[in-house]
Amino acid sequence: MTTSSEEILLQVPHVRYKKGDGTLYLMDQRIAWMMENRDTVSISHLYSDIKTQKISPEGKAKVQLQVVLHNGVSSTFHFINRGGLQEQAADRDRVKELLQTLLPKFKRKIDKELEEKNRLLSSNPALLQLYKDLVMSEVVSSEEFWAQHASQYTQAQKTQTQDIGVSGAFLADIKPQTDGCNGLKYNITADIIESIFKTYPAVKKKYLEHVPAKMSEAQFWTKFFQSHYFHRDRKYAESKDLFTECGKIDDQEMKKDIQTGINDPLLDITAFEDKSIDECYGAQAEKPTGTIGTVSQAMIKRFNQHSIMVLKASKNKQPEQPQQNGADPNTNSSKTQENNSTNSISNNSSNNEETHVNKKQRIQEKITYNDLESSNENQNSSRSQLSLSKVERYLHGPMPGASIEHLLPNEAATVNRGVLLECRQWQGGRQLSNNLVSPAASVGALGELSPGGALMRGFQEQSLAQLVPSDIEKDVRNLYLSLCELLNHFWKCFPPTTPALEQKAIKMHEALHKFQGAKLKPFEDKLIRELSPLSHHLTKHLNQLLNAAYQKFNTWQKMKTHHR
Amino acid sequence: MVDEEDPKEYRWETGYEKTWEAIKEDDEGFLEASVADIVQRAKRKRQAQKQPNTKLGMMRHLYIIIDCSDSMSNQDLKPTRLLCTIKLLELFIEEFFDQNPISQMGAIIMQNKRAERISELAGNARKHIKAINNLNRTSLNGEPSLQNGLNMALKSLKLLPTHASREILIVMGSLTTCDPGDINITIDMLKAEGVRCSIIGLAAEVHICRQLAVETGGTYNVILDDSHYKDLLFQHIEPPPAAVCLESSLIKMGFPHQMVVEGTEEPLTMCMCHVDSTDEGSKLTTGGYYCPQCCSKYCELPVECRVCGLTLVSAPHLARSYHHLFPAANYKEIDYDSRATICYACQKAFGDTDKNIYRCPNCEKIFCIDCDIFIHETLHTCPGCATNLSLFQNHNSE
Repeated sequence: MTTSSEEILLQVPHVRYKKGDGTLYLMDQRIAWMMENRDTVSISHLYSDIKTQKISPEGKAKVQLQVVLHNGVSSTFHFINRGGLQEQAADRDRVKELLQTLLPKFKRKIDKELEEKNRLLSSNPALLQLYKDLVMSEVVSSEEFWAQHASQYTQAQKTQTQDIGVSGAFLADIKPQTDGCNGLKYNITADIIESIFKTYPAVKKKYLEHVPAKMSEAQFWTKFFQSHYFHRDRKYAESKDLFTECGKIDDQEMKKDIQTGINDPLLDITAFEDKSIDECYGAQAEKPTGTIGTVSQAMIKRFNQHSIMVLKASKNKQPEQPQQNGADPNTNSSKTQENNSTNSISNNSSNNEETHVNKKQRIQEKITYNDLESSNENQNSSRSQLSLSKVERYLHGPMPGASIEHLLPNEAATVNRGVLLECRQWQGGRQLSNNLVSPAASVGALGELSPGGALMRGFQEQSLAQLVPSDIEKDVRNLYLSLCELLNHFWKCFPPTTPALEQKAIKMHEALHKFQGAKLKPFEDKLIRELSPLSHHLTKHLNQLLNAAYQKFNTWQKMKTHHR
Repeated sequence: MVDEEDPKEYRWETGYEKTWEAIKEDDEGFLEASVADIVQRAKRKRQAQKQPNTKLGMMRHLYIIIDCSDSMSNQDLKPTRLLCTIKLLELFIEEFFDQNPISQMGAIIMQNKRAERISELAGNARKHIKAINNLNRTSLNGEPSLQNGLNMALKSLKLLPTHASREILIVMGSLTTCDPGDINITIDMLKAEGVRCSIIGLAAEVHICRQLAVETGGTYNVILDDSHYKDLLFQHIEPPPAAVCLESSLIKMGFPHQMVVEGTEEPLTMCMCHVDSTDEGSKLTTGGYYCPQCCSKYCELPVECRVCGLTLVSAPHLARSYHHLFPAANYKEIDYDSRATICYACQKAFGDTDKNIYRCPNCEKIFCIDCDIFIHETLHTCPGCATNLSLFQNHNSE
């Protein structure tokens, strides 16, 4: 019966199952029922197999509990406690509650993959059709199907999400809407959030610390927009906001950047100042006076800070590395580090050379204008010449060995005279006649040229096509579809250069034979029974396709045995 | 000193067109005629520069990247830039597949800092035209991302065999691009893979576009008006000179024929090109082209066989490439000095309105300007040379 290690959690007597009375046992792994006066358990179900349980509604005379398994089998237990309906209901409720607590623990995690596959099949009718034709008729096994034939659909899920850049105006584009009573509503999308995180890494850190541990996402963003950090004034020394730290970090970054300066000798930042041409054409550098509004200075400082951070956000991204070269990532990242380098006064010699070459190039660029140079020089050198031998061969078709007849001048003159003679005869000898052709012959010709005649073969077939009922046509189309898929994989194996391809070729060949047997022959038989005149026509092409494939396979096999 | 040099031009001015002088307003104050004239002259200059004996990349794989950002809703091209672009692209696609039958094309749009592929690389003109027409309904927002667009195109161009020419044509209406990383890295990758990028700008010249075109060996132009736009687009129909890294290799092609067996009737067959399309499935018909390797049927050529992967073409498709390899000789422009009375091709009588007439260097016949354009753009054969047997066969072997 039960093994000694199983403990019985609940035992309910007076339970009827399929005309027999007995006891229902709930163990810790399974539910079991044993008939009265018997020693062995008649039915037992593991909790992991059970999908759901159902109970009969209140008020019904029979108090029942049904257990439904994953594979569709269900067992119904009828509680027949002698004490009456109340007790029966009580029994059943006890069982139900215990099951309710136990079942979730054992619930088999529905295969996520299975769900995915079901979804794919239901959303792609073509794929569903293929599945039905190939897997259900056992031409191709299920794993093969998902690995080979449906691979393009499963791959489609894995398209990489693209990285997006940070637009300079992203914060300005969040236009707040007034919501009527002194409040402002900011709509931020995932894009904007990503931009904020990329540009202000300090904010990202704060976000990770506080959400979802200390506050919800909505609260975090509300605080963000409320804080002075976001607004113009930025007098954050006083307020104890969440984001005061961020402001301080930003300031420190700026100071560091200003100290490192710019490594480029050809760029002169002081030349960017506004110089106004004063009277008498003297350029006078304006000294900013100390009392010019600190507000505007603060704003300019914020603008500069924002721009610097946006630019840094794009540079800090790891450059894309090709998967083959393992050496590339290191060289790429070291290059970007050198460009952003802070106090690297100690440059090795290779670095020096590079900077020299760059300097020369840039000076050269500044003193030449492309427009003024003649553009012809560059283009001629890069064109590769086409070398053709025997050009006449391209202009005429291949002439099968017959040499060109050369007419001697005498012969040409004779022929010319003969033709002229003939032409003159035609002009003279035109008789008016009523019969050019006999009537019978002309009626015959008309008959042959009208639709359905001997010379107009095509129309007959078109009308034949209309005789085919649409469901048969659909069946033929599905056959074509599945055959196309199988043949595609078959032909991909040729020429078989690796042993794996050879294996696949053999397997596909078998699959083709199976397809012919399992789907094509029954369809042909069905056609012969239903539409006898057409049966031969409709499947002739399908057979031709299969025969071409078989022939290819056979020749390959022959060549293989020859080589051995 | 200044007076001496006034009558002649300064030395650095020689050979430098003073294009601002060429623009003149006509009586009603419109500039169109001058613009058309400039465009025409540029065309002739290009024509003259084409050299006959260069290697061309004729199996072309072209990606068109269209900017679908905010700036494309600008109405400087009527009705909007995007609608004008769609119209012209439809004409372009048809003409492209007409002149380059063995080529393939794909389409990508740049929108909202992302790139989206709207049409895969394929040789079927109708599919692409349908995809481009659907753009009528997209909403234009955001900024374009040049880097994302180029990366997406590069992803599929990388996988192509080396004998195919890889090209990208970008239609850029915005003056900015918002990229996730350093676009110079992308440009270097494009250069390494031998992809030729050309750009048509709709607004103004942008430095990064110029750099991209120069580095990859393509062309960059900014349009003046819509007829100039069409002219610039159609410049890309001719096959470009082959890139240096283009290797020559033998390509297997199939030439389908009708399957007729004597004595029996033709069977009813279905085509493989429509077998899985949901709106118009295949029908049972008798006519069609059968692949010589696997016997599957197709409605139209050229096509790549779905079953065995063989490229199916018909001989006239390949012969069309001869127009590019053996072009008609460029005509010389000569003054109309009552040298000839009628044009040899159209038999039109020359009048005072024809300032220049054109003479073929091989057959020495005279043509008018319209015939000149027609012969070099559409016909690709000089009627004078074609009607003169001895010349026709010899001229190509020179």
